[in-house]
Amino acid sequence: MRRSLQLLLAVLCLAPIGARADGKVKLTVWGRDLLDGAPDHAYVTALVKNFKAKNPDIELEYVSLGDPGLSDKTKIAMANDTAPDLVQSWGGSVMGGYADAGRLLDVTADLASVPTSAAARLAMSWKGKTYGVAPFFAIAGIFANEGIFKKFDLKVPTTIDELEKVADTLKAKGIQPFACGAKDKWPPLAMYMYLVNRFGGDAFSQAQGRKARFDSDPFVQAAQKYQDWVKKGYFGPKPLGEGYGDAQQQMATGKAAMHITGSWMCGQYSNPKFTDQTLGFYAFPELKGGKGKATDLAGMTDIGFVVTKKAEAKKEAAVRFLKYALSSEAAAVEPGRISSVPGVKAPSRMTGQAADVFGKAQTVQFWWDQDLPPAVTSPLNDTIQTFFLANTTVKASLTKFEALVEENMGAVK
Amino acid sequence: MKTRTKTKLRRAAFVIAFLLPAFAFLAVFLYYPIEETFRLSVMKSSGLGKDVFVGLRNYAKLLQDDDFKAGLWHVLTWAFWSIVIQIPLAFTIAFSLTFYKNKLTGPLRAIYYLANVLPSAITAMIGMLVFSPGYGIINRLAEAFHLTWVTEIDFFGNPSIAFWTVFAVATWAYTGFPIIYLMARMEQIPTEIRDAAELEGVSGWKYARFIVLPMVAYPIRILAVLCTVGSLKLFDLPYLLTKGGPGNATTTLGIILYQQGFINWQYGIAAAIGVVIFVLSLGFTVLQFSASAGKDSYEG
Repeated sequence: MRRSLQLLLAVLCLAPIGARADGKVKLTVWGRDLLDGAPDHAYVTALVKNFKAKNPDIELEYVSLGDPGLSDKTKIAMANDTAPDLVQSWGGSVMGGYADAGRLLDVTADLASVPTSAAARLAMSWKGKTYGVAPFFAIAGIFANEGIFKKFDLKVPTTIDELEKVADTLKAKGIQPFACGAKDKWPPLAMYMYLVNRFGGDAFSQAQGRKARFDSDPFVQAAQKYQDWVKKGYFGPKPLGEGYGDAQQQMATGKAAMHITGSWMCGQYSNPKFTDQTLGFYAFPELKGGKGKATDLAGMTDIGFVVTKKAEAKKEAAVRFLKYALSSEAAAVEPGRISSVPGVKAPSRMTGQAADVFGKAQTVQFWWDQDLPPAVTSPLNDTIQTFFLANTTVKASLTKFEALVEENMGAVK
Repeated sequence: MKTRTKTKLRRAAFVIAFLLPAFAFLAVFLYYPIEETFRLSVMKSSGLGKDVFVGLRNYAKLLQDDDFKAGLWHVLTWAFWSIVIQIPLAFTIAFSLTFYKNKLTGPLRAIYYLANVLPSAITAMIGMLVFSPGYGIINRLAEAFHLTWVTEIDFFGNPSIAFWTVFAVATWAYTGFPIIYLMARMEQIPTEIRDAAELEGVSGWKYARFIVLPMVAYPIRILAVLCTVGSLKLFDLPYLLTKGGPGNATTTLGIILYQQGFINWQYGIAAAIGVVIFVLSLGFTVLQFSASAGKDSYEG
């Protein structure tokens, strides 16, 4: 009797780990996007539907949490060790934090033979170990309204001097040179990343590696340039009152002529239901005499998934999901993003332009607010937002940020 | 003697049996989190890995932090103006709706309260619809009437104005509750009192000031406490409308707590902010009640 009871208890304890009574393995995935088939969500919608159809032995539960719901809930779940089997992730230092805490499952060997771009693999790796896949990559560049440029006989700028001349002309013609959305704090980051690179080359890597300060010359020069452009009205009269959605509308209606942002906008800016303007995607210009090149890009994974330690007992099923997520069949559904999967054709002319820019990249710097430790990321975006305030001394703002970096990452050696 | 003791014990057991479920619920969902917040506030914690004891260093950091100081100043300013503007406004509207009843009273009551039941996200969207620089109603009207000086106002982007823009949206959204609360109290005032006042020739402003106001003094005090505590915990509307910006022009203790905990992974500092909010809320509540203890002229 006692033996039978022990056996029963053992079976009950093991039941959740092994296969279920119907032979299915259950995988739970937390993602950001809704499965509503909207153009932005087309990939995830098809991924979940097709994976379920192709893998009848796996019961896939996809939970859509939105933004910032996904990151907030993941953070809490990782802290409590109650995360699901797979989580949507953009890689970088946030993923690294979870990896350091032992919450993620090393799938380096399982994914070694899966073809993907080097940048995507790097983004989903931390300290030499791979924890997931990134089927899409986003890079920042200039979305330019080709119709407006043609109307005023302007060429897409290849140098910062040309960019300023174009902006002055556009402003004189009553067109806002840049859409931005500074109210949301993170949108101005992409342009600042490029300006710092064009002034100082690998200045960010130096500062991140604590070989230079965040208030050293390239950072200050770039911030000063940014503030000058704000004062000249390149971002319109009320840049801090407008969010990222407003910036998109300004581009969609032809009110603004350029938008420095991520290539994730290719799908929307190519969609005739969203805009009747003809837009194109181009690399951010070089600075004459500067250190950075047009082939130095800013970007990161667009959609990615990582496996957690919770999936250790069902690793095969989790890896199968990752491999399918990274397959050309799954990636081909995407209407806008640049694919990290070799052989997937660009879905639109604009994505093709972005893919061309990406193809010529010599370096890809990940978004600073994903590459730096979380402790300094929101202060970073707060600091950049202050460049939009006319009375801000940019050097003082950057020095304040550097003090915070020193506290969390150490002083310059 | 034994029987009496037995009865007492039985009664005590009975009382404990009834109190225990509620106490257990409070212990798990209130007292334990409060204790954990205090514990975490003296730790360096990223939420992942081991916490390290740092004493009062998190509090010392807060005292040197410009954003925290700005957030504290904003919530205190918010609390002050909420009491000074929202409560008198609510009193005036509640008085009008209670003592000058007509066919519009019912619909007006619903309209005033409607803003209070809307989710914050909807309230924020309405706020943006009114004040946005591009598609905002104010901007559109100003353009239509060629009021250039109005079109030039940057309601969310100007650090000197943004706080008051958010406050205006909040006043619209949050005044509904005090109106309904005060109306409920005013409706309990016996009609004999009003009849007697009218016989004595006391009506209108004097009736409101000298008879109704003292009678709703206690509910007003409770509203003042709720306003203060609500202001100290303020998060949703400023975050949804401006994310605390531009710079830190509209930041609050709640926003800084969220940023430190969920974005910056600084749980210890976030907990320290939580403790500051808790202590201030408790302090102001005790202060507001003790300052006017025994002064209620009408408890009904």
